Amino acid sequence: MKAKAGYIQVKRRTASLRIIHWVNVFSMIAAITTGLYIAAPYYQTFIADPAVDKYVMAWNRWVHFMVAIIFDVTSIIIFYLTFFSRVDRPWSKMIPNKKNMREFSAVLINLITLNRHKNFNSAHNDSFNIAYFFTFHFLMVWMLLTGLQLYVHGLGSGLSSVGTWWPWMLHLVTDWTIPVSGWMVGGGPTATLMDVRISHHMTMWLLIVWVVFHIYYQVWRTIFWKEGDISIIFGGSKYVKIKDNEENKEA
Amino acid sequence: MSIDKEESVKKLFTAESAKVDTNKGDAYYDELYISCQKRIEDLKKLKPLNNRMDFTESIEDQGLERRDFLKWASATTAMLMLPASFTPLVAEAAVLMNRVPVIWVELSDCAGNSEALLRSDGPKIDEIILDLISLEFHEILQAASGHQAEKQMNEAMEHFKGKYLLFVEGAVPLGMDGNYGTIGATGETFVDHLHRAAEGAAAVIAVGSCATYGGIPAAAPNPTDSVGVMDVIKGKPIINIPACPANPSNMVGVILHYVLTGSIPELDSLLRPKFAFGYRIHDNCERRGHFDAGEYVEEWGDEGAKNNFCLYKLGCKGPMTFNNCSIIRYNEGVNWPIGVGRGCIGCSEPDFWDKYAYERPMSNANIKAPTGGVEKTVDEFGLGLLTAAGIGIGIHAAASAVAGKSEHGGEF
Repeated sequence: MKAKAGYIQVKRRTASLRIIHWVNVFSMIAAITTGLYIAAPYYQTFIADPAVDKYVMAWNRWVHFMVAIIFDVTSIIIFYLTFFSRVDRPWSKMIPNKKNMREFSAVLINLITLNRHKNFNSAHNDSFNIAYFFTFHFLMVWMLLTGLQLYVHGLGSGLSSVGTWWPWMLHLVTDWTIPVSGWMVGGGPTATLMDVRISHHMTMWLLIVWVVFHIYYQVWRTIFWKEGDISIIFGGSKYVKIKDNEENKEA
Repeated sequence: MSIDKEESVKKLFTAESAKVDTNKGDAYYDELYISCQKRIEDLKKLKPLNNRMDFTESIEDQGLERRDFLKWASATTAMLMLPASFTPLVAEAAVLMNRVPVIWVELSDCAGNSEALLRSDGPKIDEIILDLISLEFHEILQAASGHQAEKQMNEAMEHFKGKYLLFVEGAVPLGMDGNYGTIGATGETFVDHLHRAAEGAAAVIAVGSCATYGGIPAAAPNPTDSVGVMDVIKGKPIINIPACPANPSNMVGVILHYVLTGSIPELDSLLRPKFAFGYRIHDNCERRGHFDAGEYVEEWGDEGAKNNFCLYKLGCKGPMTFNNCSIIRYNEGVNWPIGVGRGCIGCSEPDFWDKYAYERPMSNANIKAPTGGVEKTVDEFGLGLLTAAGIGIGIHAAASAVAGKSEHGGEF
């Protein structure tokens, strides 16, 4: 879309990043609806139907694991792009140096003063948003590791359809989540698999809370900054007033 | 689990959960067979210890035939994950069990594991074999008491120093300098008693969930500060046989493995023998099909219960619990919890009383647990946090809507 007179178009997200975002959105909805069913089956099947036609829990688990694997792959891509993207350098905003800390507080002050103080360049991804996304990625990595730990025990014999390396690798990479979860959940001196499950369930709630604020904040920005922020994730660009942008550059 | 200790941190990144190698290849088993054969020849040369029961006679006395015994031997061979060719060796080893001295001590417990051995309607072969072991000391079974019992234990420990297997039943209370539990005429604390008994043992076998992880005495709020044997005894081979009660078949399996090979069986990260705790109950559950189909018992005695549907919604913890009861069941395959229509309470897992045994799906638990109800707190906390975020957002949105009309909005 062409920029309105007096505005300049700022390209923010490439097509691949936008595709990954929407894949993640639908994966997350699927993971939560199926995950809640796996935690406590909240709808019932018809008792008269033969079991072979139903397979309801199995389908729920199938979908849950499928989106988990999709999440794994998108996470690897995002991890790669964070450090090696040609167009964006989000990692540089993650380092807690003086400049980033100042930007972070400037954006936070802008939010809590209801857009009274806008003393930062809003054309590019700011430190506040980057830190918020880092929280998401951190929770997501924990979700994937605990999820794979819970998953690998279904491959109890150490075999899988793709070979023995897969459960072996999952044990190697995720077994440490048991003592860490045990430490977080508390209880007796010996950590147990249930601690991982509790932690996995708890992290789901943290992610839901994250999503709620994320959506709210993006919509709020769009309304108050008047820079079309919401279209970053649809069209890939936002629009900044030419004057504002230049002023900010000077500052 | 604390992560402030160096050892714990090391453990954290090298933790290995259950993975079962059921086929180690012909070369391995051929070599094992020869070494087992040699060990059995050596054991035959030894005289039976105090227990001079004749195995063949005891079996006949109980109205069982040799054929039953051979059937048992082949089932036990399979349970130990050995090839069928080992069956004759297992049968021979069973007869030689009275060459291994056993001392059995009781700590904070209900004696349920001993009871499980003693109270079956008719003695099964597992129980007869446990009659046959050279039980040098067992507080419940022996006639001696007081100073006499103490003397007997000291003599047994002295006489079989470095050779006996120490079976421990019950948790170890550490609170109040261990004075929550004392034993004998001298009022020795359970901790000291355990340390003294373990010192000369060839291996320590913790039987039941209390001895393994602290079990019910260690359940929240754990006033006596109880822990399991492995948290107290260091530098000794320890084998855990959890479950409430531990399955006599698994106890016999461990002793048999020791008699047969002279070594302890392969253990998982929680020191449980892999032959018994390598798989989840869920993996071999007879109701697994109903789980996948989404067919659940909704309440006790409903139409689903009559049709043997899955007990997951009534809190079955089979999917999280490692044990072989879905394969070997209890009392020589008579039945097991899920077979009688009630869910697994995860009795062989750490902290089972707080984290598994609440008879509801994990997200509906409301038993008092470490944080006042584990999953229930999680959901309520989550929903609370979500509500708080929603309210915060609402306030911010409303404030923005009102303040947004300000002339200065966005102009700074």
